[in-house]
Amino acid sequence: MSENGILIEGSRVTKRFGGITANDGVDFAVAEGDLVGLIGPNGSGKTTLINVLTGHLTPDGGKVILRGRQVSGKPAHIYAATGVARTFQSTQLFGRMTVLENLMVPGLTRPRSSAHEVARRARACLEFLNLAHLEQLYAKNLSGGQQKLLELGRCLMLDPAILFLDEPFAGVHPHLRDELIKRIEELHRAGRTFVVVDHDMESILRISRRLVVMARGRKIADGPPEAVRTDQAVLAAYAGL
Amino acid sequence: MRHLHVYILLAVAVLALAYAPRVNPYWMHVAIIAMFYGILASSWSLLAGYAGLFSLGHMAFASIGGYASALLVQWYGIPIPLGMAAGVALCCALGGLIGWVCLRMSGPYLAIFTLGFAEIVRITFSTEDDITAGMAGLHTEPLFRAATRLPYFYTAFGLLVVSLALMGAIVQSRWGLFLRAIREDEQAAAASGIDVARFRILAFAIASGFAGLAGGFYGHYIGILTPSLGGLDLMAVLVVMAVIGGMERLPTAVGGAFAVEFLLELLREYGQWRLPIFGVILLLTMRFARNGLLTPFWLHFVRLGGGARGAAAVVAPGRKDSRA
Amino acid sequence: MSWDYLFIQAANGAVIGIIYALIAVGVTLIFSILKIVNFAHGDLYMLGGYCAYYVITLFGVPPLPAMFVSMAALFTIAIILERLLLTPLYSDATERKDEYGLIVTFGLAFFLRNIAIIAFGPFPLKPPSFISGVQHFGNLIVTNDRLFAGSAGIVLILALLYFMHRTIWGQALDAVSQSREAAAIVGINPRRFNSFAFGVGAALAAAAGALIAPIFSLAPDMGVLPNIQAYVIVILGGMGSVLGSIIAGIALGESEGLFTAFFPDPTRALAYTNAFGVLVLMIVLIFRPNGLFGRRHLRME
Repeated sequence: MSENGILIEGSRVTKRFGGITANDGVDFAVAEGDLVGLIGPNGSGKTTLINVLTGHLTPDGGKVILRGRQVSGKPAHIYAATGVARTFQSTQLFGRMTVLENLMVPGLTRPRSSAHEVARRARACLEFLNLAHLEQLYAKNLSGGQQKLLELGRCLMLDPAILFLDEPFAGVHPHLRDELIKRIEELHRAGRTFVVVDHDMESILRISRRLVVMARGRKIADGPPEAVRTDQAVLAAYAGL
Repeated sequence: MRHLHVYILLAVAVLALAYAPRVNPYWMHVAIIAMFYGILASSWSLLAGYAGLFSLGHMAFASIGGYASALLVQWYGIPIPLGMAAGVALCCALGGLIGWVCLRMSGPYLAIFTLGFAEIVRITFSTEDDITAGMAGLHTEPLFRAATRLPYFYTAFGLLVVSLALMGAIVQSRWGLFLRAIREDEQAAAASGIDVARFRILAFAIASGFAGLAGGFYGHYIGILTPSLGGLDLMAVLVVMAVIGGMERLPTAVGGAFAVEFLLELLREYGQWRLPIFGVILLLTMRFARNGLLTPFWLHFVRLGGGARGAAAVVAPGRKDSRA
Repeated sequence: MSWDYLFIQAANGAVIGIIYALIAVGVTLIFSILKIVNFAHGDLYMLGGYCAYYVITLFGVPPLPAMFVSMAALFTIAIILERLLLTPLYSDATERKDEYGLIVTFGLAFFLRNIAIIAFGPFPLKPPSFISGVQHFGNLIVTNDRLFAGSAGIVLILALLYFMHRTIWGQALDAVSQSREAAAIVGINPRRFNSFAFGVGAALAAAAGALIAPIFSLAPDMGVLPNIQAYVIVILGGMGSVLGSIIAGIALGESEGLFTAFFPDPTRALAYTNAFGVLVLMIVLIFRPNGLFGRRHLRME
């Protein structure tokens, strides 16, 4: 762990796709134990930033430092092994594998994991997510909300220090959304760090300790939610679109 | 009864071995060739069915294994098993290389690439005729100097059983789970901590090694190798076998190989019509029974023993669910 | 090696290249609408060649009308095949569409090739010339058939361009390739255009087969390599760019011609020329692993 409690840091992250600059020199650091909400209009570069910070994209400029080690350019599984877990904007499960198998996979990638131990943890995780009765179903046969929960569970099986959740509330039934928020808060209290991207402002404001706003590939605001809400630049970015 | 299906399979195997000496040479030959295809179909299923790497170069590796072993034995006079082992090693290395080169290719692109590889191998083998004897065929050293085919039958049987045991162990282990995860979603697999590149290369290397083993045996059994062994038509026959049987499980792929090979012989009077007929059966299978024609029977059969084979055994330790 | 020989190789390369481009344009069209790589395209080309041959020899039709008959026949056959085999691609219930399209078209290719061996025999056949005789350009001699094949190929590609840009059906195809949903909303039936695109692609391949037949011969496995060359052209020429396809086609044809001319061992030159095109494909795929069709939508330009 680095001395100042910073868990993961993207420094001057730049990423271009063809002529579009999706991230333009973004500085983004997350301290251990924080719960960061990341918002911004469509196309502002949130998902790109997450993809860079979790190793799914290699930045064109800048670097990613994870627990004091530079990791940009390394494959995504290295990030996972170092305690970085993520969900995807459109849920990406192992469709033709059972619910239980979906959770077994990340557990078994850990060195010296035993199948029995991982299975026990996976079942405990399913209990926690209220999915235990579905363990033998194919993941593709779950409802949208259940799939989001399962994807969260798959992250947890990595026993991660930090979780990046990309639009966890999108298209989720309000009832299940509350359930999801409760789980996130529980996990946060238990010491996990979160970065949550979503358009559901109400939910984001409800849970986040710190709010980061992006627009046109840049970070335009960063601070406590109450302060950011009234920030002129933020209001302009949202109104300007 | 627990594991009833395993006992039934064992009993069938013992019967087959005991009855073998009384089988006439013609059907024994058919059985040997069927087992040759069984190794190929199951290893292709490991690659295409489990890992989702739809390679069209699998027969090319059989061809490479066959030629490598035959030529090494011819040039250096090494024992045939050593030649076959060298062929397997070469195919593992080449397969790993191909797997590495096409790491970033998916679906149809990987198929096109491996198709290209197979064509180049075939063209090279038929053109470099001062080494490979080209289309005339390379005469190979026979594995046994025996009057009957019985030793070949037992060897093929042994190779098939060992191959299936090894591949079965792989797909039942966490590796099998990782391969399926990669098939389902590479990004999510990487996010779950799987070294996707390593396992894709590994899958290619392992499957190609078994293809090379099958090819090496075939060469020293049949006595002559031609470049068409690695051609597109045999590759298509292999796809027919695996898909008709069920390409996502090793036993159904082997079953498909047996069924197609025996049907090809039974339908001999239809001559050239057999291949297009099997083409039609492949298309019908894809259209109406994509999981393969043998898969439902196999699942039923497994249920006899109350086991959960087909799903990796690492997945449900300590619980006897009957999902397969 | 004389200059004349090089020129002849170059002229031949250009003609072959145009024929490749004609096949490649069909592959592109089918990919952009149906979103599948058609592994059976070379076999539709083979069928087109045989179809023209039998129309000429059995019914005494002159070669050019026979080519059109063959195009019409393949258009129809392709639509029937598409209806029978490819409809699951348009249903949401079908999973792993890539895999389905791949195995089905690969299986179809296997079926067509082996049916052709039965129906037409394994031995090469050669139909009569479109226009017999040769043209002299100085020392350079080019057969009329090659000139005809090259020009007819260009005319057909231009006709396709006109069709795509200037007709309502072409515009509708463009719309479907960009968004099936949006096209459906404005009243275009996308399913009809799946069949139509597959049919047009096959008809172009049939024309290529009919044009090439008097130059080379017809054989049941004649489609395997042009199918691979078509992929090379689609990658090199850029998705949907017809001009790019023509240029890439000619470039490939030329480099194959020069490869043959310069290959040190003449007895093996021809065999390795085939491998050369395949090797180009593999190398291109290594550098653009998913770049066969960079853009998913069709923009014939």
